[in-house]
Amino acid sequence: MSNDFSEPVGKIVDNYLRKLKTHLKGLPANDQEELVKEISSHIYDSFRSDTTENEVDRILKVLDKLGEPADIISSRMSPAMMKMGKKKKLPLYILAGITIALFGVPLGLGGISLLLAFFLTILTLVFSYYLIAGSLLICGWLGMIVSILVFINPNFLDFLGPEVQLSPLTPDPTLNAVISLALSVVLSVVGIVLIWLGKYMMRGIRFLFHLTFEKIRGFRKKRGPEIQTT
Amino acid sequence: MENKITQLRKGILELAVLGCLYHERHYGYSLIKTLVGEGDLDITEGTIYPILSRLFKEELVKAEWVESNQGPPRKYYSLSAKGEQAFEVLNAEFAKLTAMVANAVAKQEKSSQNEERKILIVKKEGEDVQ
Repeated sequence: MSNDFSEPVGKIVDNYLRKLKTHLKGLPANDQEELVKEISSHIYDSFRSDTTENEVDRILKVLDKLGEPADIISSRMSPAMMKMGKKKKLPLYILAGITIALFGVPLGLGGISLLLAFFLTILTLVFSYYLIAGSLLICGWLGMIVSILVFINPNFLDFLGPEVQLSPLTPDPTLNAVISLALSVVLSVVGIVLIWLGKYMMRGIRFLFHLTFEKIRGFRKKRGPEIQTT
Repeated sequence: MENKITQLRKGILELAVLGCLYHERHYGYSLIKTLVGEGDLDITEGTIYPILSRLFKEELVKAEWVESNQGPPRKYYSLSAKGEQAFEVLNAEFAKLTAMVANAVAKQEKSSQNEERKILIVKKEGEDVQ
């Protein structure tokens, strides 16, 4: 391919083709190879058709006319890849609409403090949510340990004094231990489920944050036209 | 404005590529030379390749590698039967569209001329009154 050129020209061409190859990553290997072959053929023909200037100037002109590697592959990307950016925007705008409806667009100082309060509230809610979930979990585990120990040795809690007892629901200490064990298991399961559910909550909140910052940034920029050409 | 131009070009360029290949087969570089000709349409040559590969994927063009007597082999493109049909349909549609644009412009020119005439008449009448 570039062997057909003299040394400095060959280097420039190689460099261009290498850049092209990096843009092609992700395409099937066969397609990549074909396109590189096709482009080097183009470069050769274009280079040969013009015999006026010195070689380096000529090759630079050839590559300039050919355009950036990105131009050559722009619509080779799978349609799915090209659409990704667009699809995301729709629900974003709807939600942005809701936030606008709630806070009003020209936020001003009042709006910003309202927004801040809103986020602080959310943060506090999240914090207390995890606090509750965590303490349920720890409570459950400790309860389990204690009830198992009591189950093994009914006199285990005696060293704490006569006031401390495993909830005496029934006179039978063994049954008591079983009941509290079951309760502890339930508590820890609830804790785990809460933490697991928290994942979804966090996702939603992250989305909300993202949305707000995007909106604020967009508002600052005063948004120019943003028609995408693909 | 740049955007509008690229948008307009995109569809029409595809049609022009089909038109070029309708008569004879071409490789990328010769296709560009034929399209641009002596005209001063400034086209980024690389943009022809995504178009060709799209047409290939849509099975409107066929491609084959041919050894060249000088330099690396060339990838020649020609229209498939489906491509020929597509070109005929699209070309007819394009003719209608250009006629529409020409008509629209002509009509507007006429009506603006009419308006000017009206203004002139009104002016004249005004002068008459004075």
